[in-house]
Amino acid sequence: MKKSRLGEFEELVLLTVAALQQDAYGVEIKRELEERLKQKLSVGSIQSALKRMEDKGFLTSRFGEATQKRGGKRKRIYATTSHARKVLEEMKEIRAGLWHAIPKLAYELKVI
Amino acid sequence: MACHTQACLRVESNMSSPHPIHPPQWPLKFLRFFLKEKYLEEIEGDMEEIFYDNVEQHSLKKARRLYSWEILKLLRPNLIRNLEIFQPLHQLPMYKNYFKVSMRGLMRNPLNSFINVFGLAAAISFCVFAYAFARWTYDRDQFHEHKNEIFLTTIYATRDGVLQQYGQTPRPLGELLKQDFPQVKKVCRVEDRSVIIKQRDNVFNERIRYTDPDFLEMFTFPLKWGTSSSLTDVNSIILSEPMSIKYFGEENPIGESILIRFDKERIKEFKITGVAKEFPSARSLDFNFLIHIDNLRTSERNYYFHDWATFLNATLIQVADPADIKIIERGMEKYKQLQHEAVTEDWAIASFAFEPLATVHLRTDAIREDIFRDGSDTNVKSIGFLIIICILMLALACINYINIAIVSAAKRLKELGVRKTIGATRKVIIVQFLSENIVTTLFALSIGLVLAWLVVIPWFEMLWHFSMDFRFSDPNLWIYLPAIVVVTGILSGIYPSLYISRFQTVNVLKGSVKFGHKNPLTKLFLGFQLVLACTFITSAVMFTQNADYLGHRSWGYSNRDVVYTVVPDELAYEQLKTAMDQNPKVLSSSGSAQHVGKKHLTQVLHFPDRALEADRLAVDAYYFKTLGIELKAGRTFHEAEGSDQQAVIVNETMVKNLGWGNAIGQQFRIDSTRYEVIGVVQDFHSYSFNTLLNPVIFTRADKKDYKYLSLKVNRGSEQETYESLKRAWAQLFPETPFTGGYQEDVWGNYYTEMGIHGHVWRVFASVAVLLAVLGLYGLVTLNVSGRVREFSIRKVLGASFKNIAANIFKQYVLLFTISLLIGVPLSYYFIKMVIDYSYQYHMPVTFFGVVLAAVILVVVLLSTVSTQVFKVFNSNPVDGLKIE
Repeated sequence: MKKSRLGEFEELVLLTVAALQQDAYGVEIKRELEERLKQKLSVGSIQSALKRMEDKGFLTSRFGEATQKRGGKRKRIYATTSHARKVLEEMKEIRAGLWHAIPKLAYELKVI
Repeated sequence: MACHTQACLRVESNMSSPHPIHPPQWPLKFLRFFLKEKYLEEIEGDMEEIFYDNVEQHSLKKARRLYSWEILKLLRPNLIRNLEIFQPLHQLPMYKNYFKVSMRGLMRNPLNSFINVFGLAAAISFCVFAYAFARWTYDRDQFHEHKNEIFLTTIYATRDGVLQQYGQTPRPLGELLKQDFPQVKKVCRVEDRSVIIKQRDNVFNERIRYTDPDFLEMFTFPLKWGTSSSLTDVNSIILSEPMSIKYFGEENPIGESILIRFDKERIKEFKITGVAKEFPSARSLDFNFLIHIDNLRTSERNYYFHDWATFLNATLIQVADPADIKIIERGMEKYKQLQHEAVTEDWAIASFAFEPLATVHLRTDAIREDIFRDGSDTNVKSIGFLIIICILMLALACINYINIAIVSAAKRLKELGVRKTIGATRKVIIVQFLSENIVTTLFALSIGLVLAWLVVIPWFEMLWHFSMDFRFSDPNLWIYLPAIVVVTGILSGIYPSLYISRFQTVNVLKGSVKFGHKNPLTKLFLGFQLVLACTFITSAVMFTQNADYLGHRSWGYSNRDVVYTVVPDELAYEQLKTAMDQNPKVLSSSGSAQHVGKKHLTQVLHFPDRALEADRLAVDAYYFKTLGIELKAGRTFHEAEGSDQQAVIVNETMVKNLGWGNAIGQQFRIDSTRYEVIGVVQDFHSYSFNTLLNPVIFTRADKKDYKYLSLKVNRGSEQETYESLKRAWAQLFPETPFTGGYQEDVWGNYYTEMGIHGHVWRVFASVAVLLAVLGLYGLVTLNVSGRVREFSIRKVLGASFKNIAANIFKQYVLLFTISLLIGVPLSYYFIKMVIDYSYQYHMPVTFFGVVLAAVILVVVLLSTVSTQVFKVFNSNPVDGLKIE
């Protein structure tokens, strides 16, 4: 856990990649995230998060097809590694655990 | 990959025809430059896809803007490639070492460090000063919030066959513009008049400004006290801060009243409703007193607002959008027609033009009769000169640095050899030297900044009596200063570092490399410095001489023993003249409607074949005698009242301009009146030696128009007579303030200005000479100290003082001679050009200045070298031989 810490934004990007499956390339990830977060994101922030996670071993990538709209340049399709999926699961569990803890805490606080 | 590139090319060629729209090229090139190669294809493609999406959603322009912006945001550490220039940034410890070594170097050679740092500091302080001056010049009027929407209405009219621009406009134009064009949001008309203002016991002559109430809304002149909307009331008056202090001291004068006397009969009381805050110093428009323009209806007998034939001092308009001015310009034709019906051909308007307030200060010198203060033309020229001077100063300082670095490199050979042996590449050595240089320049910068702030700028402000508003908080200054550091640091460091780093390690350590002393470039640089110093000294000498020459140049009439005063009317003139004529010191007295150096009329003279513009002065028969204007041909006016009504006396320039053989008897027409020339007088300078001589005509003044009384007095009694004139005035007209002066003073501070030119150049020359001498001194010292053993041996073997002196001088004699041979003629032609360019009338340019400059240089050079000769001669050869 310690070695491969995920930032909040990185986690979001990682989840988007996992959700998009075969369509997970730069523009599509940006579009999907912008829609969900309802805010504009820059190419730079997405790309640097992708590259960082690739270096950390959360993502693998391969070249996809080239379209006219892209001026004939190929897409890079990202995919999550099993390590990433494990970390995501862990994160989810930690969060769920924390969420479970909240009502008790809140109740106790109220009593005081 | 190769096959893929081909695919790319094919797709691209297919694309070119259906897609004329493409992303902007520059950002793309930039992206290709900085992005890591392995990410390039993907990200470039992504960017392009997003770009085409944006084109569909927004305009092309916006899509391009977004594209560029996104590219900038891609500048992230993990995306950019490892450019080589960034690499040294990771070597912090090495830089610490460089810094330490350069500090030690600076400490070890205090003399050389001083020469380098001080020279650069002096040059940088001039650069900072030039910057402050340029900023001040271009900041003029920029504080106005609506500077881009406000326009001055100007007209073009033909004069002497030349189209000229005037700042005046026909009176009805302002109101019509507001009615006819919906684009015109606000209009203000401006009329200036001289009046007498009375407040309790204070009585002064003042200029007041009549204007529309919009004036204070259009121009950004915030008030210190009161409200700007109060100007809509015709009984209110708004003061500037200095005027408020002049009449009321530091107290708040709101609600107080003052009396304005427009003329003999018309007096009106005004209530003070506002005082303006202090005006910014960089302005070309301001006011002393503001009153509503409708006051003209009551203050002047015949003021018609709808008279197309007369002009108003200025009409300013404010439009909603600066682009609207084009629409208004196209619609001005109809006013031209109206004006042409009303006036004579002399004043027929050829066209209208609108000058934006933001840039009007650069144009006011070309626009005649406008209400703005002196334009920035001369300042812009001065900035040009300043930039050249700053570059030369920096060059001098950099050259000192280069020379000293090259010569003293010999002392650092060991260090370099060691560095190279333990793995420093040539590039590393170069970086080391450049960073040392930047350290030195940074030192110089901080000293130079302080010098500029505490010495150079206050000095210049004191000379010219103005404030440049120099502030450290100016953000542009902090872009400019680092730029200077980097440029000078690299310029001065690049050659020495290249030169020093190219030697082979082995040779360096073996000591078989001898370098520094025989570098031809050192000599070349030194020669260049001497040439520059020669030019600077010549300039200083010539400007000083010229100021002196102009101080003694004749004005063309006797200006030293004449005093004058302004009189309100004929009666006052008679009373004052009678009183003064009894004074035995007064040799002659004269009345005139205009006065040389104070006022003239501009009139168009019509000849059968041409028209000519001339300055007109209406005077009486004694005027020429009183002012000492010498008659060259013909006669002056007859003394009998009412005679010579259609006679004129002209000046020599007019005769020359018209090419008359014999001027007497020539005739011309002004409006419909015929005039005949009866005499020719010598040329005289009315305003200053800066203004070209104009054709001048004198006509006979009507007694009721007399506005000036001039008195010629016994030489030496000017002051005494002037005092008695003031006393006589105070007795006769206690209610009216006295206006008058010595004729000598009508040019105002022209001579002071000339003196300042000399002063400024002398300072520049001193600094330039100082820099060159410091450089030379540093060079000679290093040179001699490198040859200590040689000289010691020579002395032991019996060399005389003469031998040693000859030996040291030998190296420099040829260099000095060549530099002077180049420098002297170059300086001569340069200064001739500068003086011709800056002065309308100046002294004949002689060789004196150049010769003096050469002599000064030779003396300075010889004494510099001599100090070292004496040092060598007085040293003990044993000490010299013991070294190492």
